[in-house]
Amino acid sequence: MTIATERAAIAPKAAEQPWGIGLLRRIIDHRSDYLYILPALLVMLVVIAYPVYYTIELSFFKTPPNLQMKDKIFVGFDNYAAILSSSSFHRVTINTLIWTVFSTGFAFLLGLAAALALHREFAGRGVLRAVLLIPYVVSAVAASYVWKWLYHSDFGVIGALAVQFGLTDRPINFLDNTTTVLPSLIVVNVWKEFSFAMVMLMAGLQTVPEQLLRAAQVDGASAWQRFWHVTFPHLRGVSMVTVLLLMVANFNSFIIPWIMTSGGPAGASDIWITDIYNIAFGRQRYGVASAYAVILFIVMMVLGYFYVKALTRGDEARAG
Amino acid sequence: MLAQVVLKDVNKVYGSLYAVNNVSFTVQDGEFVALVGPSGCGKTTTLNLIAGLITMSGGEIAIGDRMVTDLDPKDRDIAMVFQNYALYPNKTVFNNLAFPLQMRKQPKDVIDKKVREAAKVLDITHLLDRRPRELSGGQQQRVALGRALVRDPAVFLMDEPLSNLDAKLRVQMRSEIKRFHHNLNATIVYVTHDQLEAVTMADKMAVMHGGVLQQYDTPANVFSNPVNTFVASFVGSPAMSLIPVEVVTTGAATILKGTSGWEMPLSAANARKAQGSSNGKAVLGARHSTLKLHKAAKPDAVPGKIHTVEPTGDITFAQVLVDGEVVNISLEPSVAIQPDERVWLEFDQDRMHLFDATTTMALKAA
Repeated sequence: MTIATERAAIAPKAAEQPWGIGLLRRIIDHRSDYLYILPALLVMLVVIAYPVYYTIELSFFKTPPNLQMKDKIFVGFDNYAAILSSSSFHRVTINTLIWTVFSTGFAFLLGLAAALALHREFAGRGVLRAVLLIPYVVSAVAASYVWKWLYHSDFGVIGALAVQFGLTDRPINFLDNTTTVLPSLIVVNVWKEFSFAMVMLMAGLQTVPEQLLRAAQVDGASAWQRFWHVTFPHLRGVSMVTVLLLMVANFNSFIIPWIMTSGGPAGASDIWITDIYNIAFGRQRYGVASAYAVILFIVMMVLGYFYVKALTRGDEARAG
Repeated sequence: MLAQVVLKDVNKVYGSLYAVNNVSFTVQDGEFVALVGPSGCGKTTTLNLIAGLITMSGGEIAIGDRMVTDLDPKDRDIAMVFQNYALYPNKTVFNNLAFPLQMRKQPKDVIDKKVREAAKVLDITHLLDRRPRELSGGQQQRVALGRALVRDPAVFLMDEPLSNLDAKLRVQMRSEIKRFHHNLNATIVYVTHDQLEAVTMADKMAVMHGGVLQQYDTPANVFSNPVNTFVASFVGSPAMSLIPVEVVTTGAATILKGTSGWEMPLSAANARKAQGSSNGKAVLGARHSTLKLHKAAKPDAVPGKIHTVEPTGDITFAQVLVDGEVVNISLEPSVAIQPDERVWLEFDQDRMHLFDATTTMALKAA
């Protein structure tokens, strides 16, 4: 009671004061709150804020290949200009967009289908649910190697089956062909992450009120109309969060493309992170790689903004 | 069209549990029937069976002149009002009302006309552009009624539509639904656990217990002639008081004997009823308003002890312990009584009830 009245008394005063003082005042009033998050804040400063700062700093320098950072030369925005004007950046960006959009889209749709199928009661549902979760919990490195073998032009099961069923005359060289390599990797990626979408959407489905579905049934809605008018609107929030998380994960993908193709052949499966890795640790051009990473960071921050907005949308609706 | 609902030997079995056990009754066209009973008695299951939302284990249901046993809910010509209103949260009130018509692919101008008519009847025209979360409970309830109304169905099914409202609004909506029924001459099957709602609103009430239909009659008849001790104690507030007694016949006279030894002579009609009890064990029942309180011993009156006194203003309720059983009585507020005071209760021979102790069924004059 006393705390509430105190805060109420402070609030209007704080609003009248200049912004800086108001903020300081708030921090002092809530000093114990800040004290509690201080340890976590310190750790984050060391492991996140400093690397981010250092990357931004490096992005303005030409760095020597011998890693003697004291010899770095300030070049302003030259690194950014070099990246944005290079033809390989455009190609890699297109690859990244294809990779992200198709991976996210198919993983979401497959996850939605699986969630809807598993939402119904049937014998063996628990087992099937566990089986469908396997891709998500398997190590990405192990899965990448397994898929690499499945796709293998000489020993691959997929190629062998395709021949056996008469789909092709000889095994397709999935990973060594510039037109098939990216779709092939997207298949692996979708397989790996659709169960994440499935788990998220299954949780979302639990929140759809049974009575609403019954009401729609009495109102004459078909199964598809019930999904479209009742179930899907209820899943909108969780769908947005799921798609954004998948997009962030896919923009940042590294393991699957790196292990399976390292961006090859001829850069046909190069995406942003593999490209950055190559520039930094393959060609030792840390300044350029840093500038590249900063660009990626900005894209991620935009996505992050929408993610937080999607997460807090419900809160605003409840508060309003 | 004649919109009667006929249930014949309807069953719903879950495993070995009979949720609905051989229920049969007929709702006449334009009748308001309340399905009433405690939680788990099978009333909502029965309603869902009429709606077709769950499949029957056995029996037949007809609505109007059609057998609907195998029809989908949408083809049964019914509309339903749910406990939590079940409005579509992402749609405006207009689109909530329009939804059942849109699903039936009616032309736009017809939908618009019907929605506006229904909105006018329920006085929600000014809310048509709002979304459900911007409405009060009472307004949401009206929208839910409206969504049922636009369809012009043969039968309205209502599943505890008032139980989410606060006490004051519930009383108000109770009379609104009653007007709704009266004005539209609608056939309504209404589920409630609140016997007061059933008694005040319905033309007929179906009292259910343990999946079995106990009694199906007008509220007045159910109130005055309960078929068994369950119905007797469920309908009416405060509940009918029930006292186990022994039936003793000596010569021409038949009397009731309490477990503590008191004796009550019976009228000729009641004596014939009492003689029908199995093993001479019966249950004596009486409503609070039929009992007379005496502060001094009176022949034929039953002795007891005041347990609690509850003044409500214009009437005072008292609980009297007779043979350890609680007996509810109502008194003029001017009567001064104290807890633990010894009193004598006089039963009205014409308005008392006798039940068989073994079968719990009401005893009839042989």
